[in-house]
Amino acid sequence: MWEFITSFYESTIFVYGLTLLIIYAILAILSFIAIASYVKKNKYFDYDAIVSSPLTPGISVIAPAFNEGLTIISNVKSLLTLNYPVFEVIIVNDGSTDETLQLMIDEFSLIIVEFAYNPKIKTQPVKCIYKSTQAAFSKLIVIDKVNGKSKADASNAGVNLAAYNYFLCTDVDCILDKDTLLKLVEPIMKQNKGRVIATGATLRIANSCDFDGTLITRMRPPKNLIPRFQEIEYIRSFVMGKVGWGYINCVSNVSGGLGLFDLDIAIKAGGYDFLSFGEDMDLITRMCRYSVDNKIKYAICYVPITLCWTEGPSTLKTLMRQRTRWARGLAQIVSSHFSLLFNPRYGKMGMIAFPYIFFFELLAPVIEFLGILYFIFLIFFGLINWKFALLLLVFVYSYAVMISTLAILWDQFTFRYYKTWGEVLRLCLTTFLEFFLFHPFIVIFSIRGYLFFLSRKKHSWGNMERRGFNNTTLSTAK
Amino acid sequence: MQKILYIEDELLMQNIVDKILSREGYEVDVANDGKMAMQKLIENNFDYSLVITDIMMPYANGFEIISKIRNYTSPKKIPIIVVSTIGNEDAILEAFKLGADDFLKKPIMAGELLIRVKRLAGQ
Amino acid sequence: MDFSYFTDASIAQLLEEFYYSPLIIQIAIFFIFFSVLCILVTYTSILTKRYKGYRLEKKLERINPIIDDLILKNIIFNDELNKDAEEGEPANLIPLHDFQKIPFKSAFGKQALINRIISFRKSFKGTIAFYLRQLYIDLELDKQSFNKMKSVKWDKKVVALVELTAMDMSIADVNILPLTNSKNSELRAEARHAYIKLSKNEPFKFFDVVTEPLLMWDQIQLFKIITTTEDIAIPNFARWVTYSTNKSIVSFCLKLIVYYNQVDGIPAVIKLLDTKDHGLRANAINCLGKLKVDEVEDKLLEIYGNQTQNCQIEILKAIGRIRSGKSIDFLKYEFLHSSDFDLRKNAARSIISGGIKAQETIQLLLDTATKENLLILKHCMNPLIKF
Repeated sequence: MWEFITSFYESTIFVYGLTLLIIYAILAILSFIAIASYVKKNKYFDYDAIVSSPLTPGISVIAPAFNEGLTIISNVKSLLTLNYPVFEVIIVNDGSTDETLQLMIDEFSLIIVEFAYNPKIKTQPVKCIYKSTQAAFSKLIVIDKVNGKSKADASNAGVNLAAYNYFLCTDVDCILDKDTLLKLVEPIMKQNKGRVIATGATLRIANSCDFDGTLITRMRPPKNLIPRFQEIEYIRSFVMGKVGWGYINCVSNVSGGLGLFDLDIAIKAGGYDFLSFGEDMDLITRMCRYSVDNKIKYAICYVPITLCWTEGPSTLKTLMRQRTRWARGLAQIVSSHFSLLFNPRYGKMGMIAFPYIFFFELLAPVIEFLGILYFIFLIFFGLINWKFALLLLVFVYSYAVMISTLAILWDQFTFRYYKTWGEVLRLCLTTFLEFFLFHPFIVIFSIRGYLFFLSRKKHSWGNMERRGFNNTTLSTAK
Repeated sequence: MQKILYIEDELLMQNIVDKILSREGYEVDVANDGKMAMQKLIENNFDYSLVITDIMMPYANGFEIISKIRNYTSPKKIPIIVVSTIGNEDAILEAFKLGADDFLKKPIMAGELLIRVKRLAGQ
Repeated sequence: MDFSYFTDASIAQLLEEFYYSPLIIQIAIFFIFFSVLCILVTYTSILTKRYKGYRLEKKLERINPIIDDLILKNIIFNDELNKDAEEGEPANLIPLHDFQKIPFKSAFGKQALINRIISFRKSFKGTIAFYLRQLYIDLELDKQSFNKMKSVKWDKKVVALVELTAMDMSIADVNILPLTNSKNSELRAEARHAYIKLSKNEPFKFFDVVTEPLLMWDQIQLFKIITTTEDIAIPNFARWVTYSTNKSIVSFCLKLIVYYNQVDGIPAVIKLLDTKDHGLRANAINCLGKLKVDEVEDKLLEIYGNQTQNCQIEILKAIGRIRSGKSIDFLKYEFLHSSDFDLRKNAARSIISGGIKAQETIQLLLDTATKENLLILKHCMNPLIKF
């Protein structure tokens, strides 16, 4: 009996691990194809045609701000100078307690306008809406609202106000490439597989880059080890992961730092969920569901170039907070959309994207954790074949390093990121440490997030039990 | 000699137009972006016979430059020509509303630009 | 624990041990070697890739200023050339010898020249562009472009098409028509754009035959080509509004009718109001509003009741654009009694755009409005708010 359990466990783990490795290999190939064709197409694509055409669709740029007093002015200015012919910039002041709002009022000569605000998505109350009296800033709208304790709630207020058919969601503290809108709108214009409901691009860590105001003048891999691990992680998950998934139209998340969305579908799908810890992924999942339910052939695209730089956590403590939150969000999404799992009605999302998320993103840390426990158990009872165990470890390790290194190479195909070869080498060598110094923490933080999720969940279950008392007693009695 | 400030972030265009104007005897100051343009304006105490500006560029766009120049009260009004790729009607109207004197859409005719420059800046 | 395995075993022993290991271990060992190899290959690829990119950049940094100076000297500042141009018969006088010297003899130099000429033509039209095209032909750079078209790679073909269209070179129908039906969507689209731009006989032929929807990008490219190509014969677009079964062609033609102000096409557009497709109907209403067709106003009011919301909004906008003042009571009724916020806002907007004719109504509404209605009116009257 005991032997049966261990052999079953071992073979399950084996199949699981092998599947994961195969999936990574497939993703590497898919993303390579996608990047190669992107590079080819970009050789002749004429972005000026988008700028000069009167038919170009407008875009509403939405950026929530909470206590960003230090950088707000230069960041708003950089949003106002994006290269695009028709757009507006909606800054949502989410009840900042510092001088964020006052600084904007002074700099852009804002006045309160009587605005017929008709919210399509419910948010915390909007106090007032400001416009600039200077014609040069006529693109700018500032919303002042009561703090809703979440970026989702603030973004929703911006979505309610958006006047164009597409909106870009970003953070005020993110630094965008000046051609962001042009590059993100391109797939919407050219995709023939269906209506493009969202596009995203690669995010990178801004920690060690040089800036002149809000313009990047020199790109560097972070000097500090913790952000540098994140740089590799981002390159891998965007350039290899999302671009690869995008090639077969199976993208499951467009990052909250930067994404262009179809306004109509986002509103009909209900906007961002302010209770969610992973509001970006939650919105994408609901937009996909809405599209399938209403028989809209949809596509989500990823462009393999970096358009957004964001400050990554540089201490273990802040990193823990971020990752715990992400893990909690992931658990929330999987549990609230569980009916999607292997549901053929939802096509690729139900059969490929969502199962991948469930088995290889949600469960991976748990399985890894249990695996380590099992390993320790084996050592304890002296049941281990050291030769084989070490070989397997070296195998997984070298494979992981290979995938990360390939991701860095793929990334270099579109653009020569970083100035020197030495910087790229430093990044490449960091991949050798990631497995031991970074990955274990991520596993622990994820599990911490799941535990938080479960303890919260019990709390809300408690309420439900009281409401449906009879039913639950019946089912537990069985 | 008439002094012209030419603001353009596309270097090919910047270089060629600079040379074309210089050859006609104008003294040309070039700026790559909004920040540099503002620096030049302030350094020279807004003393230009003409400003030629693009719309889409880093730090401060053409609209902001136009309104900064127009808000600056000086004895003489500086003529402004906008040269831009933007073809959207609203943007063109906005440039005029802010006080631009002329709008040329890229690609431009060098001869036409010269005639307009001569008309606004003088020979 | 036997670590000696790793240290003092001979190769033969290792192989033997490998042979008798379980399959999993064999696979693992294989993949360890594979991964290590792959990592090394990747490193060299990154190195060479970056080095090549760096070299190319440096080479272009060197060659582009040379090209710029030559173009300045031989074309833009060449007074001989410009003198002739004024007389109306541009002669073939561009001094070519500078362009035939060393850096431009190689394929790389020629390609750099082509790319630079194209960039120049993106910034300059008129005489400069004319002589640059002349230069391109005189230096026989078109041959290089045409050669690319013979390539089996689709992306080379597209690059060739882009170069040739940018230079306004004509391509024989025999060469381009097969490409307009290519299986590769990028190539197909680019070939169609080229065909419209370069074909002298019936450039709009493919409007009749195309069955797949025009993408937004196609529309932008076609719009640019149709409106900027100088010697293109503009047809009556109403033809496709009436006969085409391709919705995207119809809606694209509606935009062109507005752009060219083709009032002859109005009856065809009015007929389109009976279509079942509400997206197309909204486009038709939009077109009529922009053309300010006031005789259609009554018809619009008549059909208003049984339209979808997007068409109703378009009707309200169209009435605002037509500005006849006839339908002000209707707008007022919609503003006061509609249950849909967007309809009320658009009705208010159209009343206010009525200007002097609507002055009385606006004042009356302002005096008697509820709090919410007053807000909508003020919103629409505020010049700072665009939407």
